[in-house]
Amino acid sequence: MIHAVLICKTPFLELGGVVVEGPTVNTSGVARLSKFYTPLHQSAQTLIPKIFSLVCSRPASLCNFLDAPELEAFLGPKGDEDERWRIVYRSYATLYFVFVVDGAESELGILDLIQVFVESLDRAFENVCELDLVFQFDEVHHVLAELIQGGLVLETNVDEIGNSVQLASKLRKESFTAANPLSLGTGVGGAGSRGSNLKSPLGWLTGKITGGRAM
Amino acid sequence: MWERTLQDLIRGLRANKKDESQFIAKAVDEIRKEIKGDDMELKAGAVLKLTYLDMLGYDMKWASFHVVEVMSSPRFHLKSVGYLAAVQSFDQETDVLMLTTNLLKKDLTSTPADISVTLNGLSHIVTPDLGRDLSSELMTMLTHSRAHIRKRAILALYKVMDTYPEALAPGVARLREKLDDPDPGVVASTVNVLCELARKRPEDYLILAPQLFHLLQTSSNNWMLIKIIKLFGSLSPHEPRLVKKLQPPITELISTTPAISLLYECVHTCIIGGMLQGSSGDSLARLCVSKLAAFIQDTDQNLKYIALLALVKIVPTHPHLVAEYQDTILASVNDHDMSIRMRALDLVSAMVTSHNIQSIVQQILSHLVADSSTTALPTAAQSLAQQANSPTISTPHISPTQSPAYRLVLSQRILHICSQSLYENITNFEWYLSVLVDLAHIANVDVGAQIRDQLVDVVGRVKGVRRYAVKLMYTLLCDDTILHNAREEGSCSEVLWAAAWICGEYCSELAEPQKLLPYLLQSQIAILHPEIIAVYIQTISKIFGSWAAEVAERWDDEDMVEVKSTVDLIINGIKVFTGNADVEVQERAANTLQLFNFIQADLNGYKPLPPNNPFAEASSSFDPVGSAEPRFPKSLYLIQPLHSAYELNPVALLAQASVPVPEGLDLDVWFVAPPPEPAAKPELKTPKSSKGKGKEVNGSKSKSKKKQKESDANGVVVLTPVVDEEPEDHEARERRLAERRERLRDDPYYIIDDRSASTSRQATHDDIDSIPVVHLDDMPSMSSIDDSHLPTLRAEAVPSHHVAYTIDRDGEMPAGAVSPQPTSTREGSHTSTRATTPALTGSSTPSYVSSFPQYDVPDADVRTSTPEPIKVTRTKKKTKKRTQDSSALVESTS
Repeated sequence: MIHAVLICKTPFLELGGVVVEGPTVNTSGVARLSKFYTPLHQSAQTLIPKIFSLVCSRPASLCNFLDAPELEAFLGPKGDEDERWRIVYRSYATLYFVFVVDGAESELGILDLIQVFVESLDRAFENVCELDLVFQFDEVHHVLAELIQGGLVLETNVDEIGNSVQLASKLRKESFTAANPLSLGTGVGGAGSRGSNLKSPLGWLTGKITGGRAM
Repeated sequence: MWERTLQDLIRGLRANKKDESQFIAKAVDEIRKEIKGDDMELKAGAVLKLTYLDMLGYDMKWASFHVVEVMSSPRFHLKSVGYLAAVQSFDQETDVLMLTTNLLKKDLTSTPADISVTLNGLSHIVTPDLGRDLSSELMTMLTHSRAHIRKRAILALYKVMDTYPEALAPGVARLREKLDDPDPGVVASTVNVLCELARKRPEDYLILAPQLFHLLQTSSNNWMLIKIIKLFGSLSPHEPRLVKKLQPPITELISTTPAISLLYECVHTCIIGGMLQGSSGDSLARLCVSKLAAFIQDTDQNLKYIALLALVKIVPTHPHLVAEYQDTILASVNDHDMSIRMRALDLVSAMVTSHNIQSIVQQILSHLVADSSTTALPTAAQSLAQQANSPTISTPHISPTQSPAYRLVLSQRILHICSQSLYENITNFEWYLSVLVDLAHIANVDVGAQIRDQLVDVVGRVKGVRRYAVKLMYTLLCDDTILHNAREEGSCSEVLWAAAWICGEYCSELAEPQKLLPYLLQSQIAILHPEIIAVYIQTISKIFGSWAAEVAERWDDEDMVEVKSTVDLIINGIKVFTGNADVEVQERAANTLQLFNFIQADLNGYKPLPPNNPFAEASSSFDPVGSAEPRFPKSLYLIQPLHSAYELNPVALLAQASVPVPEGLDLDVWFVAPPPEPAAKPELKTPKSSKGKGKEVNGSKSKSKKKQKESDANGVVVLTPVVDEEPEDHEARERRLAERRERLRDDPYYIIDDRSASTSRQATHDDIDSIPVVHLDDMPSMSSIDDSHLPTLRAEAVPSHHVAYTIDRDGEMPAGAVSPQPTSTREGSHTSTRATTPALTGSSTPSYVSSFPQYDVPDADVRTSTPEPIKVTRTKKKTKKRTQDSSALVESTS
């Protein structure tokens, strides 16, 4: 089964032309999404930053499976090849999509699944960019929930996933407008976030600029 | 409108990178206010913000009740926020989960959208209780009209069955029906769930094989086919007929499918499903390996990686097929991708045979050499420089061979490859020893202890290599590179332990052992670890003992100068360590120093005999004891018998267990019946009883102690003979007891029990006074008087020597070891029979008795002319525990 899905941002590209500010800058990659399907042990808490830093330091030409001596201790008993965790990742522009799976999943299959996930995100956000994931992390979770449930793959067909995501998001919007008849999309509470789709092109453009500066 | 939305929060976070914690503290304060209000929208917004902060690592457990509140909102957009927060933050221990049962039940009968959100949530938060209460609802969901809901229900059912096993049986029956569902997505989900279940208990799902087989032949959904193939991989080892049935369709899939992921899974399943056995399997194996070999040579690194992964599994059964691609595989060890290197290393170690071990190990060693020993000697400054230089190497990233974790893996891999199955693959042990020494020099990571253990183990097991080993270790001790770097990380200074020990134990191989003494006595050794210094001191005394005995044998008065200077050298060198901070070093140094002081005094008092006495010469060379006065200083024979009486031997794994229990020793009987009054402190019992009746060594001690605690007082008093307990133990125990008494006196909680405690304390006093002190004072006479008890007394120690000796006489190694001696196999079998049938040897007293004289024989054997002062006492030298092998070396000296 799938134990965790993580999305992290590579620390290097973010720095673009911006000056690095002191030693507090996180070099291990910034989490954009983390979802765990099995309870974490203490060791796994330290595993995540380690994975991020290792993944981020791998050049694109290397394989998509993370297997480093530093992780030996975390991945489970050595002899039990099937129960050991495997880390499959794929990078898209500035983002790394990392899946932690065990022997029940096909390694190459997971690579395809990551592709399916990204395509679904692309449909849901209409040309997904990183800031969509930053500002609408709940929406990302909803998309992921149409793909994987409880660590098992629910659906792999991009069209099916797209339909379900659309349907659910339409229902949420309707429910929101029913509750806030005067709202123009930005909710009173944070819960109205999905309404922010309305301000789309300009919205994420400004977000992008401010975001870029903020980094 | 002053409340922040999630977007505001995120924007704020990005704008306040510098004082993030301050910003978050403020935001959380706002959230606390919002979450307590009545406005559901606001509450949900607060929960959503918390969920985001939770992802960043800020705890939101405190808000779990509010999460449930939001979950229970009838509005879908709020409900989904609630469920999202629950999924992200709840775990098995979340107490509010108890409150959700009815909520979940209600939501499962609501609109399809609600159901789907609920099922998704349930898959994450399910507890055994929720599973029990909701499993019937879930079962009905399996027949929901919407395929989407059915899929979700199936996956949720898996999680319920996982946490609440009672749901398993009915659940699996329903899943079986779902394999025939009209919707392919539902079938795929079902297969997915079955695949997970079958990994745990494959035999329970064999019954589904026909249906799955049908799906395998009819489906074209690669996702599902991969899962089915995986599922068969779990099933087929449990059903041989399945193997035969699966071979044709899988072979066809392998040859026809364009999907590499499916192809790979087929190959993988063939390997792990045991389909490569037999005549038909052989051609399939050839096909699989050829496909995998094509993967390895592919430019796609991913294919390379998984091919290595699969080849590791095929090596045990078809090594010859994989061997054809050895060069390609070895090249992969040099791949610039760490993931591929790791898998290639796995594969390479699986491929090792006695023919290729040298080249493989050499290659792995060369990885370690590449940038540590050639570009930088392992000194602090240079390794710093090395680190500074590394980025200039064309690759922008740190070269993988510099990562300590990787170096450690490589070093351990070398040790593992060579030592597996008791050096099965090693034909040339001299080569192996030199590899170990090389490794110690270049590893630059902390594997010294493992190398040390290997060195000692090899030398102990393989007699033929000792001469070479001593030579090698001699040079290691003379070479001060390791000594200089001993304080540094990864210096592997532990090999000096092995070097010193080997040189000391087998110094008879050295022509001029005394030449080594200055190296062992140089002042720099003070920086070594105390454990190593202790061995150095021991080695000094061993070497001198052996050399002095040799000198005495061919005594010439001219030797006196050299002997005296050597003794002076040793005394001066060792004196330093009598003040060492480490107790072990200090004690050994003090002991050794006293011995050498004695020798020095003897040498100073020595007067050469007149040379014209022909009898003296003759008698000294034959029987020094018989002669009235030997020609050489008697003290030259002081040390040697302390060390060399016995040779070290590997002891069989079960040797200790097969030590016979002496007749008359009942381990289940109290040494001293526990005091009848229940008021006595249980803590007081243990020291008292062990004090009174001495201690038992090894297993019997702990067993009897356990027994003491477990069983009730049975009132039977059986006095077992007093075992010679070491004075330190005795004193320590007495001191501990006194301390405890002192504590109890001061402890206000013991006031109430004072009277009864004092009576029992009184009893303790009596015991101390009456029994052990007397026995200790009287020790020598005791042993001579209690002759009948003597066997019991040494029971723990003696038989173990006995077993070790048996092994030694027949040959050096127990079963399975590679040995230059042809007798070793016979020996091994002998040992194992002995070990496996302890009762046989155990019950026979004669065998035990026979061992006893053996033990004392060396006393007579020693050619000592001064029997009285050289009272030989049994000392237990520190022996390293070596767990990695099936046996350990046990050393005894007398």
